[in-house]
Formats: sequence, structure tokens, C-alpha cells
Amino acid sequence: MYLTHLSLTNFRNIARLDLDIPRRVVLLTGANAQGKTSVLEAIYFLAAFASFQTSAERQLINTLAVSAAAEAERAKDGGRIAVARIVAQFRDNQDQRAHRLEVRLVLEPVGPVNGQRLRKEVLLDGVKRQVNDAVGHFNAVLFIPQMSQIIEGGPDERRRYLNLTLAQVFPGYAHALSAYTKAIEQRNALLKMLSERGGDADQLEPWDRLLAEHGSKLIHWRIQAIQELEREAARVHHRLTRGAEVLRLAYDPAYDPSPRPGRQMSLKMDAPVDRSGLKREEIEKGFLERLAQARPEEIARGVTTVGPHRDEMRFLANSVDLGDYGSRGQVRTALLSLKLAEVEWMKTRTGRTPVLLLDEVLAELDLQRRADLLAYVDGTEQALLTTTDLHLFTPEFVKDANVWEVEGGVVRTQKEE
Amino acid sequence: MLPEPIQNLIFALERLPGIGPKTASRLAFYLLRAPEEISGSLAEALTDLKTKIAFCQECFNITVAGRERCEICESGQRDGSVICVVEEPLDILSIERIGAYQGKYHVLQGVINPIEGIGPDDLKIRPLLERIRRGGVLEVILATDPTMEGDATAQYLHPRLKALGVHVTRLARGLPVGGDLEYADQNTLLRALSGRQEMG
Ligand SMILES: Nc1ncnc2c1ncn2[C@@H]1O[C@H](COP(=O)(O)OP(=O)(O)O)[C@@H](O)[C@H]1O
Ligand SMILES: [Mg+2]
Ligand SMILES: [Zn+2]
Repeated sequence: MYLTHLSLTNFRNIARLDLDIPRRVVLLTGANAQGKTSVLEAIYFLAAFASFQTSAERQLINTLAVSAAAEAERAKDGGRIAVARIVAQFRDNQDQRAHRLEVRLVLEPVGPVNGQRLRKEVLLDGVKRQVNDAVGHFNAVLFIPQMSQIIEGGPDERRRYLNLTLAQVFPGYAHALSAYTKAIEQRNALLKMLSERGGDADQLEPWDRLLAEHGSKLIHWRIQAIQELEREAARVHHRLTRGAEVLRLAYDPAYDPSPRPGRQMSLKMDAPVDRSGLKREEIEKGFLERLAQARPEEIARGVTTVGPHRDEMRFLANSVDLGDYGSRGQVRTALLSLKLAEVEWMKTRTGRTPVLLLDEVLAELDLQRRADLLAYVDGTEQALLTTTDLHLFTPEFVKDANVWEVEGGVVRTQKEE
Repeated sequence: MLPEPIQNLIFALERLPGIGPKTASRLAFYLLRAPEEISGSLAEALTDLKTKIAFCQECFNITVAGRERCEICESGQRDGSVICVVEEPLDILSIERIGAYQGKYHVLQGVINPIEGIGPDDLKIRPLLERIRRGGVLEVILATDPTMEGDATAQYLHPRLKALGVHVTRLARGLPVGGDLEYADQNTLLRALSGRQEMG
């Protein structure tokens, strides 16, 4: 798939932008703090309905628009809301049609004491949608250097990565995830109450069932996704390292549905577990039993201890855990392998090529990997890249690309000689 | 600064759902200028709300104060062998509007919601179980909203009702998930009611 048009209003430092986007490669260039990353952030928002830079979404709304709205509120004038708007037109090569996707972030006053509320509205082809139903229509793969945190950071980073990626691919994933998260919150509140004040433990039953129902879906999808991603990533990694490293992605679910006799005996790392034959219903049943077993302990601790909210995934190169022992270079290459694998996996799963978004990635790679990545980008349907330094790219690559200049929140598409 | 009585009224109105500061001021100044009779009858209605309305001791629907039981519970026309369990009195209104249901009701006055500290004992669940123990009930229809909390409440009730030997059914899917019974259109509600299924 590819974008044909992008328009932004009051998004970050971009007051207004209206651009036809060509296929193939767009290079956004300019000094720091001009708005390059913000353009990618806006596009990625249409795929994930979340920012890759912040969880405080009100930061995305242009500060001038926010203060103008606050001023109007004080003066009791009209125009007391601030709106950031992202509108894209894209072509879907799966259904062969043009679509229009719009996100509005609306900051509006509430209550008597200068309260504010942020509302997120999503319209697909002009029809209002729930975020959970809108996800998966426009696909993008994002690559920024900070993403080495997926490999080196805490388990939260890996779960977040899985969630954002899988939601784009499996219809229903986003919905199951929010239902699961909500059920966990309710269940934890109940466990806390039971641990502090005692009471009828059978009250847990409805929440156990909800947890097992939605949690089993997440586990089932993660099993498939990680296995398929691993296959692609291993292939790419073999090529990028010229056969020097074997890359593995190991799923380590907190509730593990696979019966593993002698689990403690074998070294976890060296014994890949194949869980791909498991049915969702089996996982649900096993998870429910596990929750029943864990009940006394969970009541004592007042918190849910097993389930996909505690899942882990590890990256291994030649059987060495990269999170713990990977060198900078190894981690960067593994990340590149993962990202390219993600593109291929999405293609296979959805029948659509995701739009590639690369933010300042070249500076972090050595010459050989740069060439590998650029060769890959060259062959893709649409890619938007940012850089402060055009010299990182080969002259041929720059010549073939659309080079756009970003300055002070304005994008200039014409080269000024 | 406004005189205290008008300021108080504005603050009181602002606390109502759906009313912002602007609407609250507009309403307050309207009442200030309007004939005595308008603000008088409003004040009376508000006082009556708390003094003249009570809850039915059988089904916990709203009824006129001084009455033990509501009209539906007292009616000889209604089939006492079926009880439809709802969250709020307004849900009864929605179901009554479609005019197809002949059984009786039971209002839980909420749903289980641990985050808000609401457990089974905070709802009218015990009186429901007692009502069924007294006999004569064959079917209980669980008509809580199709939200997570509504479903959890139905799940909680299911085995406890089953143990008393009654059929337990749940409104058919088709109501918008996460939706509110009160706002469901009549056709959808009728379909959900007639297509209700035995809970497994
Ligand atoms: N909500 C906002 N309103 C106005 N300006 C913002 C907002 N958020 C960020 N900025 C500013 O926008 C600029 C663009 O940042 P960025 O897109 O990261 O630039 P680049 O990628 O070109 O270095 C920065 O100067 C930042 O301070
Ligand atoms: Mg940047
Ligand atoms: Zn009654």
C-alpha cells in the first residue's frame, strides 16, 4: 500500500501541511528540530493510533493552538477547543481501492475548574470508527534507532512492540488486548480487596473466565507471529551477517500452554519449543486451570501473576541472549533484521506492503549495512526516510529519491538550486 | 462576583451530568428572571423526588413512596414465573416500551465493578436469590448491559441461579457490545429478547 496524500493541521510544530506523496522513496532532509520526525510520527499514528514518541497525546497538538484555545476559554469566547488533525489518502493494493483515514485529537474544556479532556476521533472513509476497529486498515513499519530498546530494554518494550505490530496484522487483536487489560484491572482490584479484607473468593470466577477468553487469543496470536517473524528474521540475519550468526526469537509466555516434560532439566535457550499446534480453546482451558491453581498465591499477593501481560520474548544470536550480552553492533544488526522481517511478515499475512518509515537510521549503521538497507528500501513500494545529512546516502540513491526540505514545520517539495 | 444564592445554584447545576458551566449559568439566570411558578414547581419536583419516591421491596424498581410494591409486581396480569434481571429502573422502561414482555423484573441497582469497589453484596443480588427460593420462578433472563461488567455480573449470577433449579438465559448477542440497554432501539431489543439463549 502507499500514501497518495497527507494533510496535517496543528500537529506538533506543523501548523498546516498539504502534500501529494509519490510512490517509492521520499527523503525528508533538514536541520534538527524542524519537523522531520513529526511527519513520520503522524503517518505512524494512522497505523498504530498511538505515538511512538509519547503516551501523552496532548503533546501532539500544536502548542500555539492549545494556548489560543485556553485564551478563548478565559475570555469565554468561541473556539475553545484545540484540534490536531491527520488526514491521509492511501491506496490498498489488496482491495484495489483508495481510502481516506482521518484522526482528530480534540482537546476540549470540561467541568467548572479549567479541566481539559482529550478526545480521539477516527474516521475511515468518512465513517466514525472505534480505534480498535480502525487499526489494521493502514499498515506501516517504523524503524528508529531508539528501537534497539526492543532488544536491550525491559520486557515492557518487547510486549509493546508485539502489541503494536500484531494489532496491525490480526483483526481482533486490538480488541482482545483492551478487553484483557480491562479484565486484569478489575481482577487486580478484586484481588487487592480480597487480600486486604477477605471475602468470597468465588467472586473471581467471572474475571478468570474473561482473562482466559481474551488472554488465550493473545497467546495464540503471539505464538504464530513470533514463529513466523523468527523464520523471516533468521533468513534476513543470515544474509546481513554473511552467514556468521544464527538469529532466534524465543517466546517465553508467562502462562506457558505447552506441556514441557523435563523443562527444568534442559537449558531453556537451547531448547526451542514448538507451540504452533496448540488450539486457542486448549490454551483457554489450560489458562483457566492455571488461574485456579494460582488463586491462593494471587489472593495473598493481591495481583494477577500469570498471563500475557507478563510475557517475555528473547533475541538470541548463536544461542547468546542479545538483551544481556549483545554488543552495540550485534544489537543494531539484529534490529535491522527484525524490522525487515516485519515488513515481509506483514506482506505475507495481509497481502499488503506496509509503508516503511525510517527515522535517522543510517548514521547508526556501518557502511555495509547501510548499503544492504538502501538496496532493500529501493525495492519497496513506498518509504519515507529522514536525515540531517544527505551525505550518508549514495549519490545514486539521492538522485532517484524525492528529496524534500523540512524547515520550521514547513515541507518544501521543490529543490531550490 | 455574583451574589451567593445565584452562585450556589450555578454550582449545583454544574454538578449534573451533561451540564457545563455555560449551560449552568444560562439556566440559573433564566430561573432568576422567569415567573415564580416555574422555579417553584421545579423546587417542589426536586424535593418530591427524594420524599415521594421509593424502591419496590420486591423487585427494587422505583415506585411511589408509601407503596410496598410497584405496579408491575402487584399486577395480576404479569407472569410471575419469568424474571428479567436488569441493571437500572430505566432499563425496565426500555423493555416495557416494546410491549412484548409479560414477565416480571428485578433491578440490581448496578453491576459488579471491583475498581469502583462494587461487589455482589452492594447490589440487590441477595433479595433476588431469596425471591427465587420462595418458589414459582421457572426462568431468569439476565439482561445486564453487554459491557464487560454487565457480562461479569451475569457470569457471577449464572451458577448461583442455576443451583436454585431455574432456567437461566441471557439476552441474545446483537446488542452493540459495550452498549447500553437504555439506548438500544426497540427492534434490536425485541430481537435480543426473543432470541435469548440458555447460558452454558
Ligand atoms: N506540540 C507542539 N507544538 C509546537 N511545537 C512542537 C510541539 N511538539 C514538538 N514541537 C517542536 O517541533 C519541532 C520538530 O521536532 P521534530 O519533528 O522532532 O524535528 P526533526 O525531526 O526535524 O529534528 C521541535 O522543535 C519541537 O520542539
Ligand atoms: Mg528527528
Ligand atoms: Zn416491583
